[in-house]
Amino acid sequence: MPPLTPPKSGDALFASVDRVNAELFTLTYGAIVRQLLTDLEEVEEVNKQLDQMGYNIGTRLVDEFLAKSNVSRCVDFKETADVIAKLGFKMFLGVTATVTKWDAEGTSCSFVLEDNPLVDFVELPDTCQGLQYCNVLSGVIRGALEMVSMKTEVTWVRDMLRGDDAYEMRVKLIKQVPEEYPYKDDD
Amino acid sequence: MIVCVAVVGHQNNPLYLQSFTEADDALKLHHIVHCSLDVIDERVNNPKRSAPTLNETFLGLLYPTENYKVYGYLTNTKVKFIMVTTDLDVKDADARNFFRKFHAAYVDAVSNPFHVPGKKIASRSFGVRVSTIVKSFGSGTTG
Repeated sequence: MPPLTPPKSGDALFASVDRVNAELFTLTYGAIVRQLLTDLEEVEEVNKQLDQMGYNIGTRLVDEFLAKSNVSRCVDFKETADVIAKLGFKMFLGVTATVTKWDAEGTSCSFVLEDNPLVDFVELPDTCQGLQYCNVLSGVIRGALEMVSMKTEVTWVRDMLRGDDAYEMRVKLIKQVPEEYPYKDDD
Repeated sequence: MIVCVAVVGHQNNPLYLQSFTEADDALKLHHIVHCSLDVIDERVNNPKRSAPTLNETFLGLLYPTENYKVYGYLTNTKVKFIMVTTDLDVKDADARNFFRKFHAAYVDAVSNPFHVPGKKIASRSFGVRVSTIVKSFGSGTTG
């Protein structure tokens, strides 16, 4: 058997993937949000749609992440959160998040982002105050973790576009779903 | 000291107008800005023969009145920045520097996906940045 390659560090991962111009990325995302607002008109609907889009992205993204990063199986949810914050965010957004505020059982934590490339130049107008601009990120995390058998719930706690000092999302592990086979072994 | 800055769109529609002095002068300053638009149009439509001025963004002193000097700057999308100052000895380099920073702030404000091109600039952080640039304008000249 060939020797297993060791997992790469966040910076090495970021350097090894194809990158796109940050302004193009930011402006494209801004255009998507604007178009959703024009089409759906309701801020809540837009939030749901962004989350759904993120979910679809996340289910596909997790395979690419696991293939490129060579991480081994995580022992517990704490390790999963660290991997997402250090390697996952770094690989796809180019920024690292910090994991804080673990609860007593170790099933709920917060990712804090000081710097978020999705929101450069953005200022929320007064008509869209309920908009969760970065909701696609919560969908991505939910979708990715569901593909590796973890059902989670992600909510936004702090949002710089609303005047807070950082972006904070709370990720709560609801349950680990063991893989189900569609047939019984006895038959 | 800068008393007024303005951003005017390519159809001569006002996009941003801010005075940095007492309110009763504000109307007069807006009037001065309006008149200077005519000067810009004249400069743009009758370019001087020499080639460098054809793609010059910094238009320079537009016209001096008894108290004020008006400087203009034209972007390649025909958006005009106008600056009214009471300083009697403004160095060319300072004015260019001011407009360069102002242009950078304008570009960031316009990159906001919620900004509608052609409508007024509603960004609060743009206003804050402009105030900072205006405050640092005078201090560059003092030794």
